[in-house]
Amino acid sequence: MLVADHLCKEFGNIVAVRDVSFAIPGGTSFGLIGPNGAGKTTTMRLILGILAPDGGQLLWKSARVDAGMRRRFGYLPEERGLYGRISVQDQIRYFGRLHRLRPAEAAARTKRWIARLELEEYAERPCSELSKGNQQKVQVACAAVHTPELLVLDEPFSGLDPVNAEMLLSVLRDLMKEGTTLILSSHQMWQLEAACNTFCIVVGGSVRASGTLPELRSRWPTRVIRVAPASDSVCSVLDGVAGAKSLDRFDGAIEYEVPASTRFSELLARLVAVDAITRFEAVEPSLHDMFIHTVEGAA
Amino acid sequence: MLGDFVTVYGAELARRIRSRPFIVGLLIGVVGVACFTLLPQLFISMDATSMYRVVLVADPPLAHRAADLLRQDFTVVATLPEQTPDASLLKRYKVAAAIVISRAGSSLHVAVYTKDPGNVAEGALRRDLIPLALEQETALPPGRIATLMKLPIGVHPVSSRFESSAASEAAHGIGFTLIFLLYIIILFNSQLVMTSVAEEKTTRIAELLVASVDPIALLAGKICAAATLALLQMLVWIAAAVALHGGLSTGSHGPAVRVADLIGANVMSPEVLIAFVLFFILGFFQLSTLFAALASLINRIEDLGSVTMPLVMPNVLAFIVALLALQAPDVPWIVGLSFVPGISPYIMFARMSVSDVPAWQVALSLAINAAALVAIVIAAGKIYRVGMLLYGRLPTFAQVWNVIRS
Repeated sequence: MLVADHLCKEFGNIVAVRDVSFAIPGGTSFGLIGPNGAGKTTTMRLILGILAPDGGQLLWKSARVDAGMRRRFGYLPEERGLYGRISVQDQIRYFGRLHRLRPAEAAARTKRWIARLELEEYAERPCSELSKGNQQKVQVACAAVHTPELLVLDEPFSGLDPVNAEMLLSVLRDLMKEGTTLILSSHQMWQLEAACNTFCIVVGGSVRASGTLPELRSRWPTRVIRVAPASDSVCSVLDGVAGAKSLDRFDGAIEYEVPASTRFSELLARLVAVDAITRFEAVEPSLHDMFIHTVEGAA
Repeated sequence: MLGDFVTVYGAELARRIRSRPFIVGLLIGVVGVACFTLLPQLFISMDATSMYRVVLVADPPLAHRAADLLRQDFTVVATLPEQTPDASLLKRYKVAAAIVISRAGSSLHVAVYTKDPGNVAEGALRRDLIPLALEQETALPPGRIATLMKLPIGVHPVSSRFESSAASEAAHGIGFTLIFLLYIIILFNSQLVMTSVAEEKTTRIAELLVASVDPIALLAGKICAAATLALLQMLVWIAAAVALHGGLSTGSHGPAVRVADLIGANVMSPEVLIAFVLFFILGFFQLSTLFAALASLINRIEDLGSVTMPLVMPNVLAFIVALLALQAPDVPWIVGLSFVPGISPYIMFARMSVSDVPAWQVALSLAINAAALVAIVIAAGKIYRVGMLLYGRLPTFAQVWNVIRS
């Protein structure tokens, strides 16, 4: 388990990470979400030891994270970089060696990753000749060639087409099965929903919400309901719900935001009593919605 | 950290040795060495065959004797009866000059007709013809005059390690060659380190690297690999020089001397060779570490020139001062500069090449440079750690200073 305990980091007058705490069980995946400048990348750099925290501590398997442990971590930074003139296989093998794999082991794993990511035809070509998506795959291989205990991926899906994004998701799931703990940051919420077990929304360097998707939803104060037909009698019943707010009308249906504590069975009964209801849908908030509302609420 | 260093060192070495800049640099160096060792001889032979071709215009007895004397330095293509030479005469005989010798009473009168007055070897002409002038003036036999002209001069070195002027001249030639080599190799290979760091920074691979490996081990591996290749480069160039020339040139007009002879004549002592390697290592590590630190601060390759120029200039200056030090190794200001870190590797080595520098001065210079290197490595390491992750505007000097003090 990785535990971040009240991490903070300042750059001169700028507070990049104010107070970030979370715990990630081993072998699970953790989505770190936040708007630009929220402190996600700085938090990742603190975990990887690229930056030293000004306060707080990091624990991995109940011990303070040190350089030796970090060698068993992997990292895919947001800003991609490869040695342009070096071949794909030499590049992956080099990073394997940097993570202390023996030469033969590094070579064998390089071969496996090249096959896993369908890069065989590019194996001996310089990385500068690869498309952006294929370069991205090489970087994933460089980050994971040593089968890290903890893999930190900053915007791993950017630049990938849907097929390759799906392949990456599959690779990440395989790594989790092998026991790798994942930390992912992405602005593509649906991919995070598919890839992560738990989430942490960071705004202004502080944690605003964290937990599994059901936990986040359970703490969410509102729900959206969609009702058809959008008749006056239906609207009058919905307007009568304390705290309800009309949102939108579409396809003959009406959309309202109501408090999460609303008893939907009772509401449905009242609606049925006033009109012939053809549609009643209580929509759970998506990660995207919760993220937007959290950020707007913080602003 | 040692494991990181070994991995980076091995990878850098393998990568650089196959890189185009290294191979091209190596080949250019071999060509340069070839030019440096062979061109002086070529010029000398050209001098003898074309620049010093002359025709002699004089009455036959005088022409016969003058031709004998002039053959020491000139190729006398023809002797002609008295006439006033013009351009067509020079063209017809394909000569640089026509030398007209005539008698004026008991004196000798010499006139040179040439298209390029700046190219008349007046000193050689005077030296060759003075015996003839004396013969005309004194009527002494030529043999007697030749004996008088060979005035023996004994050179007795005092507090010098050289036993002869030839050995001293050889030491100057070799000193110049080695300082030139030192300068080229330090600057060239330091710039390769700088380019490599800048490439990692600008391609954004730096963040991935520093997450995987200790930045200091990364920097050290890179610099040591470059140093190894620089030494290899030097060995290849020296081997090329030896192979091409069968020895090292002692100067523009001196005879070729074998390496073994040079060591035997104390021209190249083992101490000088050891000092050469030590000053190379210190100078190279100082400059390449500073270059790497500065390269870590830039965001675009185009910015390299502006940040490194302040470091290149002192090196150019040090090279020039080192050349002066070959002529005046014990002048107080040169002695003083031979202790200043950064530039002293060139200057102290120049002094050592041509004079007996006290051992304590060499040791002090080495110690100062080693201490400076430690300070540079500490400061540069701090800058490098921060600089590799710094993007945006170039930091100000005050910001860099704060990083060093942190």
